Amino acid sequence: MPERAIGIDLGTSNSCVAIREGDTTTVLANTYGERTTASVVFFQEGGSISVGNAARAGLIHDPIRTIASAKRLMGRFYGSEEVKKAQAICSYKIAEGDSHGVVIEIGDEQFTVPEISAMILREMKTVAETQIGESISKAVITVPAYFNDNQRQATKDAGRIAGLEVLRILNEPTAAALAYGFGKGLNQKVAVWDLGGGTFDISILEIGDDVFEVLATCGDTFLGGDDFDDRVIDLLADEFLSKHNIRLRNDPFAFEKLKVAAEGAKRALSTEDDVEIRIPDVIAGPDGQPLSIERTLTTGEYAKLVHDLIQRTFVVCDAALAQAGEVARDLDGVILVGGPTRLPLIRDAVSQYFQQELKSDVDPDEVVAIGAAIFATSLVNPTSDDAFLLDVTPLSLRIGVAGGLAESIIERNTPVPIEQTRRFTTFKDYQESVDIRVYQGESRNAQENELLGQFMFSGFEKARRGEVSIDITFEINVDGIVEVKAKDVSTGEQASTRITLSAGLSEGDIESIIQSQRTDRVASTLSQPTQGGRPAHTDEALAPDQALQPVEGAKPKTKSVKSKPTLMGDDLLPESDDLLEREGLEDVKLTPAAIDPTPGGKITAVDEDLTITAPTLDEPDAKELEEELFERPGTDLEGPGDDETKA
Amino acid sequence: MADLAPTEITALAAILGELDYYQLFHLRYDAKPSDIKRAYHATSRVFHPDSNRHHQPEIRRAIDEISKRISEAYSILRNPRRRTAYDQQITAKAGVRMQLAEAEAAGSRKQTEAREGRTPQGRQYFNLASANLRQGDFDSAVRNLQTAVAFEPDNAFFKEQLAQARKKWDAKRP
Repeated sequence: MPERAIGIDLGTSNSCVAIREGDTTTVLANTYGERTTASVVFFQEGGSISVGNAARAGLIHDPIRTIASAKRLMGRFYGSEEVKKAQAICSYKIAEGDSHGVVIEIGDEQFTVPEISAMILREMKTVAETQIGESISKAVITVPAYFNDNQRQATKDAGRIAGLEVLRILNEPTAAALAYGFGKGLNQKVAVWDLGGGTFDISILEIGDDVFEVLATCGDTFLGGDDFDDRVIDLLADEFLSKHNIRLRNDPFAFEKLKVAAEGAKRALSTEDDVEIRIPDVIAGPDGQPLSIERTLTTGEYAKLVHDLIQRTFVVCDAALAQAGEVARDLDGVILVGGPTRLPLIRDAVSQYFQQELKSDVDPDEVVAIGAAIFATSLVNPTSDDAFLLDVTPLSLRIGVAGGLAESIIERNTPVPIEQTRRFTTFKDYQESVDIRVYQGESRNAQENELLGQFMFSGFEKARRGEVSIDITFEINVDGIVEVKAKDVSTGEQASTRITLSAGLSEGDIESIIQSQRTDRVASTLSQPTQGGRPAHTDEALAPDQALQPVEGAKPKTKSVKSKPTLMGDDLLPESDDLLEREGLEDVKLTPAAIDPTPGGKITAVDEDLTITAPTLDEPDAKELEEELFERPGTDLEGPGDDETKA
Repeated sequence: MADLAPTEITALAAILGELDYYQLFHLRYDAKPSDIKRAYHATSRVFHPDSNRHHQPEIRRAIDEISKRISEAYSILRNPRRRTAYDQQITAKAGVRMQLAEAEAAGSRKQTEAREGRTPQGRQYFNLASANLRQGDFDSAVRNLQTAVAFEPDNAFFKEQLAQARKKWDAKRP
C-alpha cells in the first residue's frame, strides 16, 4: 500500500487540499461540497472555535473574534509596516507579543499567528481524512515564493502544531507550474503570475523532460486580492461619508459588511460587466433609522480603482524577467494563479504585458494544491517518472558588517540547497565575542533588509585584532530555510543555529502549544453527517461539548503527535542530535536586542564588533576587496542574471 | 529516479574537496552553456535530497553536501563573469572551490581593470586623456592614450578609446 501524503495550499483568503492517487490528483471538497475552504477562524463566546466556512458568519456577527487574512502576519515583527497595514484593515486585535512578535487577542486570550494557521491546516487535514477515510500525517504546504525565512519557518511551525509532518515548504508558483506541466513531457519556458489574497509572486520556469527549473522568482508579500477589495471599500466609505457624514471604517460591523460587499463585487465582475452593490442597514443613522448603500459599479470604474495595483505587479515582472535573462514574448506561456485572476481586466492586462495567450487549462484556485499533492506523492513514493524540482532562494542572504552595511553572501535566485562560507576576523584587540546578524533583502543598507536573527559567537582564543579567524557558514535548504554556523578556525570551536526569528516560536513554545491542546477546541464541522447535502450549520453544531468529538473514520490527530515527540523534533531540527554530539558546541542565544521597540522603529544595526577582511587573499588584494565592499555602493545588487541578460 | 548505492554516495562525498566544478559535472573545460545546464539537471536528479529521502541519515548528510556543491558549481559556471574568474583560479591551481561573492568580486574587479587600467601608469595616462577629451584637446588625448597603451598593450578598451580619439582628431584637423 503506497504511503499517502497531501498537498495543502494555505492561502490568505482560502485554503485548498488535494491528494494524488495512481495517476489522478483530486481536490478534496469539504462537507459543504466546496473545493476551497475559507482561511477564517472564529472564536465563539462559549470558548469553542470554528474554522473555514462555518467561521465566515463570524466576520459579520462578531468581527473582533473572527480572524481572517492571518497569513499576512506570519513571521512578521510587531511595528513593521506590514503589521500596521493589517491593523488598518482587520477588525480583530493585533497586539505585541514576546520579543516584538505578533499575537492576536481574543478576549483575555492570546494566540500566536502559527497557532491560528495551525487551526486552518488542521481543518484541511480533517477535510482530507474525512474524504479518504483514513488518517493522514504527511503534507507538503505551499507558501508564496517571496516568503522570507521567518515566514517559512512560521509556516512549518504551524504545520507541526497541526499534527503534520511537513515534507516540504513548496513555493506556490512552482507548485502551479508542476500542476500545469507534470507528465506532459514539455520543453517550455513559462511564467507563473500568481495573485493571491495577500501576496503577489512571479516565477519564470524552464520545464524540460519533467525537470522544473526555476530561473527566477520575484514578488511582493503585501499586494493581493485584499488590496483590490480595499479600493472598493474606500470608494463606498468615502461616498457614504460625504452623503451621511458617518465614517463606516470606524465601525467594525459596518466595515465587515463593506468587505463582504467588495469581495462580492470582485467576484461578480469576473463574469459581468457591472454589479449592483446593495448593503441594507449598513449602519444606524443619527436618529436611529437604518442607512443603506445602493450603487452600481461598472468594470470601467473598477479598472480605474485598481489600475495602479496591476501596474505594480508588472514592475515586479520586469525584475523577474531580467533576473532570468528572458524576454516576455519568448516565453511559451503564462499560467495564472489565484482567485483575482478570474477578473477579465486582470487577464487582459497580463496577456498584454507578456504578449502571450494565457494558459486557461488550469483552475486558478486549485492549481497550487494540485501541484503540492503531486509533489507530496513523489516525495513519499518515488518512481522513475517523478517530477523533479530545482528551486531558488527568492531573497539575498546578507550579513551585517561595519558601517551599518549588509554584505551579500548568497544572492537571490541562487539555486537551493546551497552553502557558502565567509571568513571574518575580530575588529578590536582581545575581543571576546562577535555579534552575528543575518538579513534577507536586496539593500546594502542593513536597516532596509529583514533581520532574520542575531547571535553571539564567543569562546575563541583572545588575541590582537585581526588575529582571530572565524568562518561563518550560511546554508539555505530545499525549504528555503536558513541555518548559520560559526567556527573558530584555529580551535575548531563551533556554534550552530537554525536562524530563528527573534519574535518567532521557540522549540519550547511549540511543545507547550501542542501540550496545551488549545487547537483541539476547534469544532469540526466534519463530524456532522454528510448525507443530504449541506450539514446543519447552526450554533448547536459548534457547541463546546461537541468540539472535542473525534472525527469518524479518522484517528484523533493529537494522539499521534504526542506519541511521537522525537519524530516531530527531528522534523524541526534536522541534524540536531549530531550537532549536540560535536565537541565544543556553544549554546547559541538569540537575542532580540537589535529591534527598536518604539513604534515605527526600524531594525538597527550596530556591527562595530565585526569587520570584514578576506584572509584567503594576499594583503593588497584584501585591501582592495575591502574598499570595494565599502566604497562601491550597489555592486552586489546586480544579480547573476543581470550579467546573463547583458551578455 | 536513479537508485544509488550508499557506497557510491559516500565515495563521492569523500572526494568532493578534490573535484573542480567541471569534474563534478563530468564536463569538458570548454563546455557550452547548454551542456552546463544539461549536466546540472542530470547530476541534480541523481544527487538531489528529494531523490534520496529513503537513505539513512548519515547517507542523507552526504547527499546534502553533494547537492549543495552542485548548486554552487552551477551558480559559478552558468554566469560568464564568474566562470572566467573561476577558470583563472583552477588554472592557477588555487583551489577547486570558489565562493559566489568572491567570484562576483573578482569578476567586477576584472571589469573595472579592463576599463580603468591595471597598471598605475596606464591608469594615470588614461585619466589624463579623459580630461583632455572633455576639454576637446584631441591632440593631447591621442598622445596620452598612446602612452597608456604602451604600458598596457593588451588593454582592448584603451585601444578602442585611442582609435576613437584619433578619428575625432582627424575630423577636427583642417
